[in-house]
Amino acid sequence: MSKLKISILLIVALFALTACTSKSPAETAVGMDDPDVEAIAVAAASAVPVSNECLNCHTDKQRLIDTAMPVVVAEKESKGVG
Amino acid sequence: MAPLEPWQKVLVDNEKFLPTDHGQIACVDCHDGAQSADKEIAHEGLIASPSSQPEKYCGGECHSEQAATYPFALHSTQQGYWTALDARGGEAPENHPALEEMFGNHCATCHTTCGECHVSQPKNVGGGFFTGHVFETTPPMTRSCTACHGSRVGNEFLGKNEGIAGDVHFREARMNCVKCHEGTDLHGTGTDEITAKANRYAGMESPKCVDCHAGAVPGGDDNPMHQVHGEKLSCQVCHSITYTSCDGCHVAISDTSGNPFFETEATYQTFLIGRNPIQSEERPYAYVPVRHVPAAADAYDFYGENLLPNFNALPTWSYSTPHNIQKNTPQNASCEACHGGDASIFLTADKVKPEELEANLSVIVETLPPMVTLEQMLNAPVMPASHVELISNSCLACHTEGIRNASVSPEDHAVYKDENCSGCHKLQQ
Repeated sequence: MSKLKISILLIVALFALTACTSKSPAETAVGMDDPDVEAIAVAAASAVPVSNECLNCHTDKQRLIDTAMPVVVAEKESKGVG
Repeated sequence: MAPLEPWQKVLVDNEKFLPTDHGQIACVDCHDGAQSADKEIAHEGLIASPSSQPEKYCGGECHSEQAATYPFALHSTQQGYWTALDARGGEAPENHPALEEMFGNHCATCHTTCGECHVSQPKNVGGGFFTGHVFETTPPMTRSCTACHGSRVGNEFLGKNEGIAGDVHFREARMNCVKCHEGTDLHGTGTDEITAKANRYAGMESPKCVDCHAGAVPGGDDNPMHQVHGEKLSCQVCHSITYTSCDGCHVAISDTSGNPFFETEATYQTFLIGRNPIQSEERPYAYVPVRHVPAAADAYDFYGENLLPNFNALPTWSYSTPHNIQKNTPQNASCEACHGGDASIFLTADKVKPEELEANLSVIVETLPPMVTLEQMLNAPVMPASHVELISNSCLACHTEGIRNASVSPEDHAVYKDENCSGCHKLQQ
């Protein structure tokens, strides 16, 4: 009888210990409930921006045309060879 | 050069730029600003020209050598202007504030950053990327070098002056500026104010024609002209042709627009040989081509009276190195071109404005080269080999009446007073 009790206790303890092991990386990525995990994910996202706003604009000819400051052409007042 | 459209100036070519080394660096690492789709926010704190601080943005692990010397290079310091301004301004510190104001308004736009040679057009021609923000190791000649150095050097080199051929190095060999003017010349070698150059003709002659044309040094080839004239004439005396001179550049601020402007009195084509006003060990030539620079005693009168009280300290006909080199030129076609009594290609006093005579005393040619033919020159008696240690410009110390048994210099040689006797009287081998 005591052997049976001990065996049951060992099996229960084994299950309990298995439940305490770390989650797989895939589970970590999905699990955003933990505030620490969320902070790390945000920091990583800002280090490597998915979208580079500088290049988004400076590779878009039409956007550059639309947002350019109006050019004021100054009258040429110098005379002769500079 | 036509200015670029505003969008063209700042359009990045992703395909070409991103694979380059500079394309690996985040935009904000050099330009600051912020990541935002809103232009105003994105450009807050923007550094449009990071290379105006070369040690901070270009040095470090990448271009430390260039970043250390460039702040003292002439393209950065513009010291050539100040060397002339200080000489003509004389000891008049009270004039300095006015000269500095003038300089800031009219001259400082020629200050050049690393980026203005390697990634964009210089700002004084409107700026704008060469090739979608790709950095060019070799600056594109017409969009960088001659964009600034255009009205004289550029036009001469590229043959843009009507009826006057371009430089043989461009015409025949399609060489660009940096083929001769290497990085070290342009980035400078000075590391402080003391070692920085005073102007482009200070110190070693670099580049030097004989670096490539080694045979042109005296004794280097069989060309008798090189033998005779070697160190007496700069290469350009025989190998350049008509070039541009300018008169009287005056500067002011416009009453109507408030913008700085200039006005030059005249621009004309000349080829004139003068005496070398900066003769030195590095530039030993007795004669050089001289170009009239647009200096005028009253050039800066808008900023104050008599700001150049020592105007005559420098010639207005300056040492020049025209960039229109030819193998064959009118003056090297025959000995008589120079030794024939024709003064037209020499800067004689009658070609200098009366009010500039004093300033040009060091360059005016007083005595024309003596009449001599190639045959006469080649048949001149040789100098004894034992004179090898005596070769100098003081031959007449012995070759005059009553000194030992030395032959006396003939009377008709009196016209050779400025000549080095060894030009004709070669040392016996």
